[in-house]
Amino acid sequence: MTAAKKKKKYYWRDYLYIVPAVVMIGVFFISSIFYTLHLSFFEWDGFSEKIFVGFQNYINLFQDQNFLISVMNTLIWVVLSMVTSVLVPLVIAIMITRSSAITLFKNVFYFPTAISATVGGMIMATLLSTYGLPQIFAWLGHPELARDWLAIPYVNTFIMILTGVWQGIGLNMLLFISGIKNIDTAPIEAAQIEGASGLKMYTKVILPMLKPTIIVVLLMALVNSFKVFDSIWVMTKGGPYRTSETLALTMYEESFIYNRFGSGAAVAVVLTIVILVVSYFNVRNTFKED
Amino acid sequence: MIKTKRSTKIILNIILSVLGLIWISPLFFVVLNVFKTKQEYNMGSFWTLPEGLNIMDNLQTVIGTDLFSSFGSSLLYAVCGAAFSVFIGLLAAYGLTHLRIKHKMFWFLFIYSGTIFPFQIYLIPVYKGFSSLKLYDTRLAMILFYTAICIPFCMFVLRNFFIGISGEVCESAKIDGANTWQILIHIFVPMAKAPLSIVFLSQFTWSWNDLMFGLTFTKSPEIRPIMASISIMGRANAPTMFLACIIASIPTILLFGILQKNFETGMVYTSK
Repeated sequence: MTAAKKKKKYYWRDYLYIVPAVVMIGVFFISSIFYTLHLSFFEWDGFSEKIFVGFQNYINLFQDQNFLISVMNTLIWVVLSMVTSVLVPLVIAIMITRSSAITLFKNVFYFPTAISATVGGMIMATLLSTYGLPQIFAWLGHPELARDWLAIPYVNTFIMILTGVWQGIGLNMLLFISGIKNIDTAPIEAAQIEGASGLKMYTKVILPMLKPTIIVVLLMALVNSFKVFDSIWVMTKGGPYRTSETLALTMYEESFIYNRFGSGAAVAVVLTIVILVVSYFNVRNTFKED
Repeated sequence: MIKTKRSTKIILNIILSVLGLIWISPLFFVVLNVFKTKQEYNMGSFWTLPEGLNIMDNLQTVIGTDLFSSFGSSLLYAVCGAAFSVFIGLLAAYGLTHLRIKHKMFWFLFIYSGTIFPFQIYLIPVYKGFSSLKLYDTRLAMILFYTAICIPFCMFVLRNFFIGISGEVCESAKIDGANTWQILIHIFVPMAKAPLSIVFLSQFTWSWNDLMFGLTFTKSPEIRPIMASISIMGRANAPTMFLACIIASIPTILLFGILQKNFETGMVYTSK
């Protein structure tokens, strides 16, 4: 009896270690998830009484042109960033590991990542305005290009994805470089003796060994591409006329610009469902070894 | 690594140099324009050399805005947020790996779930919660929030590290009469110095660079964090804006310099 009691007391003390984290996460995040879900069934401007509308917010969303454009833009971001944020850093990382100035090149390509997305976006937005980069194209004989590129509807999404390449490959490049450095050299040497060289060496020997790193980067890029907010917000604010919004921006605009909290909450729920489905693979990959 | 032929190496060096120049060319553009006056810049002379060295006047203008109070606020949020979350994450990671707690996996996923959901889902409830508790637009709210949002990552990384530490260490310490707290402070913390510093620095950087929450949870200039202040500066006075951008980037660039040496060590714990 006394032994059991003593044991129980120990348990109680041990739980104190996880209490702060559990309370903070519970108060800030877990409760938020349920509140947002709850709010998505109401119409609310943030001040007056909430009105229960059932699934009306969701139905409205899928009939709203702005929302459909936003879904389209999100898909464009996701598909293109999958390619750009894996392929570009991988190629650059391979080149860097075989060059003569590894540290120098590493720092140069990481530099835009070190200056946050907000600062990078502000600089890019200025650079892409009429008298910046477009002016150079005008001097080269393309005066029709001399306009603010970020103000061209639908084109600006692609331009922003390109600036995302400049801004965002740093971390993935570093991951690939340390991945390449840490792979086992024995199979490479064996392949060299067998006479493999150049491209074949990469496709047949090195890339398969890099697969774990590639999968981590790919899944991270996939999840992150749904969440891009900072750079779009500072470059176009989703405009002109809400044509370059993604779901992350639509949620913010609906809630905090147009004061349609119910509708904003519904966008957040849609975004969450999509990300949870995608994250399933991510989490499964993370815990495969456990 | 594989040996590279001399000719291949030269070609790669040339390609990387050209690409690298393109990569840092926006930086030249920023430096070129930071010396110009507002009038000079607005005449559309983006690519001409500045007529004079006007940087001190631009600095005066930046000081005239509230950028430096934002800088101070962000420093406070990022340091406190990172420090508190590392501490709370450390406790949780230790509890979830070496203490007698039931349903460890459940509690782990409970805390970890903070990073799985898109952050947009937290915006409205936390904003409304802060408003009704009169915490909206206060430094306390920002510190609390950044602490909370950094906990899952800290816990995750430290847990990965602690899993690798054998339970026998604790057992022998217990026989010597140490309690769980002493074991954590005297045995686990000294062993975990490297991952602790890495999570602190990475969470500092994350909080410093955050835009969305800073924009939503504040309205007065002295409470607003730095990235939110930068984002609302507008591009009318670009030379001043560029200077503000440079100032806002100093801490994170310094940290990258520090982190760089530890980066590969850090990856062992984080990329699992």
